[in-house]
Amino acid sequence: MAESKEGKEQKVGSSLTVESVRGIAESVGIGNLSDEAAAFLAEECTYSLKEIVQEAKKFSQRSKRRKVSTTDFDVALRSKNIEPLYGFRAPDFIPFRFASGGGRELFFNEEKELDLQEVINSPMPKVPLESSLKAHWLSIKGVQPSVPENPPPASKELQKKEILDTGIKNKIDKGHRNDKAHKLRHHKADMVRLKDLTTHELSVEQQLYYKEITESCVGPDESRRAEALQSLATDPGLHQMLPRFITFVSEGVKINVVQNNLALLIYLMRMVKSLLDNQTLYLEKYLHELIPAVATCIISRQLCLRPDMDNHWALRDFAARLMATICKNFSTNNNNIQARMTRTFVEALQNDKVSLATQYGALAGLGELGQEVIRTCILPYLSGLGERMRLATEGPIINNVDKIAAENIKKQLSKYLPSALKSSGVPETVEDYTTNYGYLGPLLLSSIQKERQVSVLPSLVPARPTLQIQQAGRTSQQFVIQQQGSASTPVTPSTTSFFSTSAQGQTPRTPSTPGSAGGQQKFVIVTTQPRPTSSATSMLGNSSNGNTSTPTIVKLVTTSQGVVNTAPTVQASGGQKIVVIKQEQGVIQSTLASSVITTPQSLVSAPDLGVKSIFNQGISFSVKAEDKS
Amino acid sequence: MAESGHMTNKMKHATVVMGDKSDHNEKQTLLAVLQFLREHNLQETEAILKKEAKLSEEDIQTEKSQPSSVVSHALAAYKSTDDPSIYEDVYTDLKQFIESCLDVHRVELNTILYPVFVHMYLELIYNRHEWHAGQFFEKFYQDHEDYRQADLARLGAVKRREHMENNAMLQEFKTSQFVIHMSRDSYTHLKRHLQGRHLILLTNLIHEHLFIHVFDGIPRTQEQILATSGALQGEAEKEANKAKVYYGLLKEPDLNIPLEEEEEGGEGDGGDPANKSKKRKAKKDALLMKKAKNDPNAPPQTRIPLPELRDQDKIEKINIYREAMKRVKLSADNLPSICLYTLLNSSQGVSGIDFTDDSSMVAAGFEDGNIRVWTLTPNKLRCMKPSSELEYIDKEADDVLERMMDDRTGTDTKMLTGHSGVVFAVSFSPDRTSLLSASEDGTIRLWNLHTWSTIVCYKGHMFPVCDVKFAPCGHYFVSGGKDRTARLWSTDHYQPLRMFVGHLCDVECVLFHPNCNYVATGSSDRTVRLWDVLNGSCVRIMTGHKESVHCLTFSPDGRYLASGGADQTVILWDLSNGTAVAHLRGHTSTVYSLCFSREGSILASGGIDDSVRLWDAAKVLEEQDTDNDTNVPSTLHVNTSPDLLLGTYFTKSTPVLGLHFTRRNLLLVSGPFLPS
Repeated sequence: MAESKEGKEQKVGSSLTVESVRGIAESVGIGNLSDEAAAFLAEECTYSLKEIVQEAKKFSQRSKRRKVSTTDFDVALRSKNIEPLYGFRAPDFIPFRFASGGGRELFFNEEKELDLQEVINSPMPKVPLESSLKAHWLSIKGVQPSVPENPPPASKELQKKEILDTGIKNKIDKGHRNDKAHKLRHHKADMVRLKDLTTHELSVEQQLYYKEITESCVGPDESRRAEALQSLATDPGLHQMLPRFITFVSEGVKINVVQNNLALLIYLMRMVKSLLDNQTLYLEKYLHELIPAVATCIISRQLCLRPDMDNHWALRDFAARLMATICKNFSTNNNNIQARMTRTFVEALQNDKVSLATQYGALAGLGELGQEVIRTCILPYLSGLGERMRLATEGPIINNVDKIAAENIKKQLSKYLPSALKSSGVPETVEDYTTNYGYLGPLLLSSIQKERQVSVLPSLVPARPTLQIQQAGRTSQQFVIQQQGSASTPVTPSTTSFFSTSAQGQTPRTPSTPGSAGGQQKFVIVTTQPRPTSSATSMLGNSSNGNTSTPTIVKLVTTSQGVVNTAPTVQASGGQKIVVIKQEQGVIQSTLASSVITTPQSLVSAPDLGVKSIFNQGISFSVKAEDKS
Repeated sequence: MAESGHMTNKMKHATVVMGDKSDHNEKQTLLAVLQFLREHNLQETEAILKKEAKLSEEDIQTEKSQPSSVVSHALAAYKSTDDPSIYEDVYTDLKQFIESCLDVHRVELNTILYPVFVHMYLELIYNRHEWHAGQFFEKFYQDHEDYRQADLARLGAVKRREHMENNAMLQEFKTSQFVIHMSRDSYTHLKRHLQGRHLILLTNLIHEHLFIHVFDGIPRTQEQILATSGALQGEAEKEANKAKVYYGLLKEPDLNIPLEEEEEGGEGDGGDPANKSKKRKAKKDALLMKKAKNDPNAPPQTRIPLPELRDQDKIEKINIYREAMKRVKLSADNLPSICLYTLLNSSQGVSGIDFTDDSSMVAAGFEDGNIRVWTLTPNKLRCMKPSSELEYIDKEADDVLERMMDDRTGTDTKMLTGHSGVVFAVSFSPDRTSLLSASEDGTIRLWNLHTWSTIVCYKGHMFPVCDVKFAPCGHYFVSGGKDRTARLWSTDHYQPLRMFVGHLCDVECVLFHPNCNYVATGSSDRTVRLWDVLNGSCVRIMTGHKESVHCLTFSPDGRYLASGGADQTVILWDLSNGTAVAHLRGHTSTVYSLCFSREGSILASGGIDDSVRLWDAAKVLEEQDTDNDTNVPSTLHVNTSPDLLLGTYFTKSTPVLGLHFTRRNLLLVSGPFLPS
């Protein structure tokens, strides 16, 4: 009878089992407890325990707490005229341990015996801080000010709901288009639509912040960039500016790819990384803009002016890692991001018409997606790829660019493939590898063997997280060095207002880094002009101030970015292009100004050289950004 | 196992009775009829019946003389020898019958399922059919509404007859009847069904334990039923809310002369005196007019002896008037600003917060038994000078109160130590000279805020005291506790003046009506009650909360009462008839604080979901349907519109335990910061 009860009990609520009662009885030295007594005790104890717990719950409510604490239990006992068991101060988590033996299973809480002497001799714990009162505005006339004391304005869930809402709204709109009889409701629907279009209005502070961040992200000052990126990665409440940032990135990539401006592409990708790192942002909405931008940086045919010299490989690697993060974080059964990206990469890998740089990118992209992808998507195409590489390195016409690309692909392959190959089941002989993987066979084999020798590292090394962390630190370093070596730091990001100033003949101060000794260079400045009619001078004041001084809009950076300040190499020659995009009410117009700086010395010697002077010397023309991309 | 040796005499009696039950039962019925006849003086019939039934005088005498305690009597009501297996069938049959009814009746009839279920289960337990009881419970406990599940869990814990005897909740089930309101049509349906099927078991049970109040009119809808259900013992009996409640405000004392003086004094600091004085005069006149005319719903001025106004109180009242003139008028378009006072480093747990009416101080009760008082103004909290120094003060001086304070002791915060248990509530006196605290140690302490020490320790409650509140006029205060009573005290008596007894569970919160003539209480039996201070009777029982009630507040005009609790709902009640006006839903956890704005247009609520919410009380009252008939519950309408929520303001992990509107309608909010 007891057993049948027990079985039924568990559904209604937990109860003390007869076994537990026996266990407890044994622990206090009663060995021969009869079945009936144990069952009776179990039932009684369950009832009493439930009573007390229910009472304790009431006390926790009275103390205005969510959780029931041990003190509540004590109080409940006391209110029932039972002496409480003192000394039970439970932490939030009680680590129950499991033990079994002799056909019995036990859960217990391990309690260490304390040496009183030790307790007495140990230093006293710190006196807790005295409670104090702090006042702040939770709301001013119904509006919650965004001060640090208040929670961030929109949680991730809210941002998510926003899109869902729009979807519903759109549905309503569609429904009403068919049914025009309900004029009133139709009218309502129209209003809803109007409201949809006018979202994302930025306050003046937000506009300033946006300007500061974008300027710093693509600007010359590495420390400011680090701060800006840190701010993007950690600040809550950026969601309102998110669409602007995304547009900034995607448009920036479009133009800079055309202009082959490696440095700016790197900066933009670092912005993407920061945005991905920010836990408060709901990025799903903007993936359709982000993914093409990132993918472009992975598999574009050309990312820099001199593919034979510039290290665009690092950018491809970095972007590939970003893509892997995106796939990991956002890929769902519905959007199938990973599958689609894999397909894109595989197509690039299969196609022998594309450049080797593109294939390198595709390899990087696939490699970052993990062992399974490597095995199924890279290995089958190795022999084809090998053939191309053989042509590039040993063929009749040796192109320097292709040769470097081939070298890099080899490095890439020996980085990603060995662990996948080890489990591929192909016997590790030169012949087998050559038959299987063609030209690349011997290389792969040697890399496997090399890795086996250094197998002090466990096979877990290629596992994603660790690899990523190590690489992330290193690449950011690489970028900096690379950027300083090849192209000088960009001049200033500025607002469109500087057109008017240049027309007026003023000379805005433009900081240029001493190391920027020319080199062929293009800069893209994407700026939004929220109020086209606003006074140009104030905007100018902001832009010039923003470049010379550093307003404390962004947070201090605590993590070191690993910036290495190597001596800048002076590059000869310097055709310089500046692209300014004026973004106004959704229409993107870009003005492309190309200017040639006569001597690099002029920049070095005259740090005050303004944008205006560049424009004076240059021939400016404008194009639509859409045309370019 | 069934016959364990621990049975009390009562029990033995019951089992013995069970033996020759049929015989005995009939006899008892006859005896009851005889008694009825005797009461109605139908002697002939009585004599005939006696003869026919062959009942001796002896039998009658023994029946009469049998002493029985209330509990044993109530328990005996469960005695039955019916086959335990038929309970399931009977219950299923009832369910099927209700299912087959028309929709309009079904919702009403559904309400009887819960009490029938509970009592059937108890009957099975009482008759020691534990196994059947378990089966019965297991099979049907999920039929009931979600808000019943907590009670059902408690019920399910009861597994033996012995448990029934000292289970507080069951005591209530046994001794009182479950009240249900039902339209006549639905009731006739039910009756016909019961008679047609000869369901004696069910008929008896309904007769014994249910009180069905039948009203004429159309049956209620699901929403209407839901609006009033939820209390431990069903809805309020109709008669319970019939008494007249004088909810109007007392006439303000005549303060004309000093007010004028103050008026002139205040003009000096204004920028444009001519304009201002005109404006003020107009406003003041309106105010005075309002106060001067007699509220028809106000109680007689002398209904309750009130403390006489001292000069100090008059000055205070003038201050209130002056502040009220500078008040911001709040509405849905003009929301108040909210200032949050966060209690930092309060790891020991804060369990009660109170602001003074003039917003100059805030007090917090902590779980370690301490109380802290902070000043919110630049004025420091000071101690009185020691008696040796007090001697030298000029007692006749105008600023004697100022002189007796010791400036050297001025601090921003003071700690009051004395309680040995959690301090559940604190309450400032209206004159700000004293503070009351209610604690888990079963005592209420009165603290003097000049000496910062305990003056009186009131030991009346037998169990933890959950709440204490000063009356708006001072002098009196009310407390409520786990002993299920609320008590009225005056500060100069160490024993309570009134005991308000009637709640079926712990009294969680108490509050004085603005006119000091009534006391409202909220309890974990999920009812809100209103008690008359004059005679201690319960004048309103308001049901509708689905979980325990944790906070109360009266509207400034005294007619409405808002209550909030663990069911995350704030309910606005009309005291004139005891019905709910609006259910305000939006909180996602227990509501622990409520406050009306000074003119009553906005209701603010706060809870442990770390949010402050503002509700449009003005709109509720505007939309209130005043011409409904309280005799017919199906005409009542409860406003549950989501539009009533005007704003939600989340804090950063700070549960909102204290809310207070300043006299100028700035909302002050307080709570401990709980880092996660």
